[in-house]
Amino acid sequence: MSEEKQLIQRMLGGDEQAFEAFFNAYFPRVYRFALPRLNGDVEAAREVVQAALAKAMRRIGDFRGESALFTWICQICRREAVDYIRSRRRHVKHLVLIDDRPELRSAIEAIEAPEEYDLVRQYGRAEVGRLVRVVLDRLPSNYGDALEWKYMEGSSVEEIGERLGIGTIAAQSLLARARIAFREALEQVFGAEAADIAASLGA
Amino acid sequence: MSDEDIARVLKAAGPREHAPAEVERAVREYLRSEWREIVAERQGRRRRWTGFALAASVAVAAVSAWLLAAQPQGAAEPVATMAVALDDVRVRGSWWDGWEVATAGRTLKAGESIETGANGRAALSLPGIASARLDHDTRVRLASADRVVIDRGALYVDAGLESPADSRLVVETPAGAVRHVGTQYEVRVDGRAVRLRVREGRVEWRSPSGAVERGDAGEQLTIAADGAVSRAGAARYGETWDWIASTTPAIDIEGRPLAEFLSWAGRELGREVAYETPGLAADAARIVVHGSVAGLTPAEALDAVLATTSVRGRLDKGRILVTGGQVGNGTD
Repeated sequence: MSEEKQLIQRMLGGDEQAFEAFFNAYFPRVYRFALPRLNGDVEAAREVVQAALAKAMRRIGDFRGESALFTWICQICRREAVDYIRSRRRHVKHLVLIDDRPELRSAIEAIEAPEEYDLVRQYGRAEVGRLVRVVLDRLPSNYGDALEWKYMEGSSVEEIGERLGIGTIAAQSLLARARIAFREALEQVFGAEAADIAASLGA
Repeated sequence: MSDEDIARVLKAAGPREHAPAEVERAVREYLRSEWREIVAERQGRRRRWTGFALAASVAVAAVSAWLLAAQPQGAAEPVATMAVALDDVRVRGSWWDGWEVATAGRTLKAGESIETGANGRAALSLPGIASARLDHDTRVRLASADRVVIDRGALYVDAGLESPADSRLVVETPAGAVRHVGTQYEVRVDGRAVRLRVREGRVEWRSPSGAVERGDAGEQLTIAADGAVSRAGAARYGETWDWIASTTPAIDIEGRPLAEFLSWAGRELGREVAYETPGLAADAARIVVHGSVAGLTPAEALDAVLATTSVRGRLDKGRILVTGGQVGNGTD
């Protein structure tokens, strides 16, 4: 049984720690998914994410594991955001993000075959930067966190292990897996190597 | 891809955005409450299905009897009335029902949940037991006529001056239950922590493990998520109680003694009624008031009523001081 399904079973069984793990793993990422789709409106994002996660918890027994749990929750969140915008059409500007475009959405959600997009030239630095963050969010949540702590905050492997509640060796192993997953996901979405992406981002 | 490449890409992309702490906290508590409800529903269903499987092998009649017995106790029994519903107030019968907009006058049955939104507030009348007020962002369930379960937000209970021992409301929270001895108090749930403020009388707090703490008027008990209890003083009136005034149900003052109205205003405002002279107390008992204070807050009603009588009054610290002098209920 996958870790996600185990987490769901524990949560539905009333395990408070499982609920906390679920919330900590999915809320930050679903919030980041919703926020730009609601024109950066924090209150709207709060309502939409709250509704989406509540709905996901109620339907979680129906989750079959055919996609990642995060992808499944994002689908619910996307519908909630559309409903929210419809109900407040006069007040909210509906944004169509580049990762909502069919060709990119499939690349991000399915991650199957690399496409020959030259996104960096096509969309500019800010959007590509956002896409990199989207890619981080699509990784298992502790992968994205570990990479961010290590490479942006400069945390040591020991500190990462402490924050994740695992030992140093396990943290090292997790970081190694996270690097591989991140590299593969970047190449799949951008069709370019990290060094090229970094160069085009001006790094 | 080297470590350096990863660092360059991540630094160039910038940090991921985080939800404001208050947003994260609010959503976490909302979802925790939803999750508890889902777990309770699932466990309830499982118990019912287990029972069904056993009963089915016996007889159809037995199954029918069991199904009837499996219904929540008193599910259809009216236990309260929605006295006030301001803005966003919803009611849900059971887990398979959707939320319905609630309006004043609605009868509430055992098993029903009431939820107020960000702008909503409500007052419930539990006949013979208590009056209860719900602050915004609150969810409670009426387990029975004398038992309310609060999942989140704040509930204010006014049990009246004389509450019979066998008709006292019990408020259940994630961290334990509150039972009162003729009192006014507020229970505010913040995640797994609970704050209990006693305005009048005394309350008894009982933890799930059976530990008991008592709180008297003017005291605040904070029960942390780990069960630790801390105490502090709490004002019995002032801004932190003002939300209650916005949900005060209208009272009919027509033909009633002024003293009765003043007593009501005193309870609503958390202040004792004090007469400057014994003669004024006698006057207040004799004076009959006329008209309506519908739509007014207790403080506005006090102003309006006193303006039409021969006695005067003002708010003086923790008192409504009734005098024969100047008009007005000026501030402390």
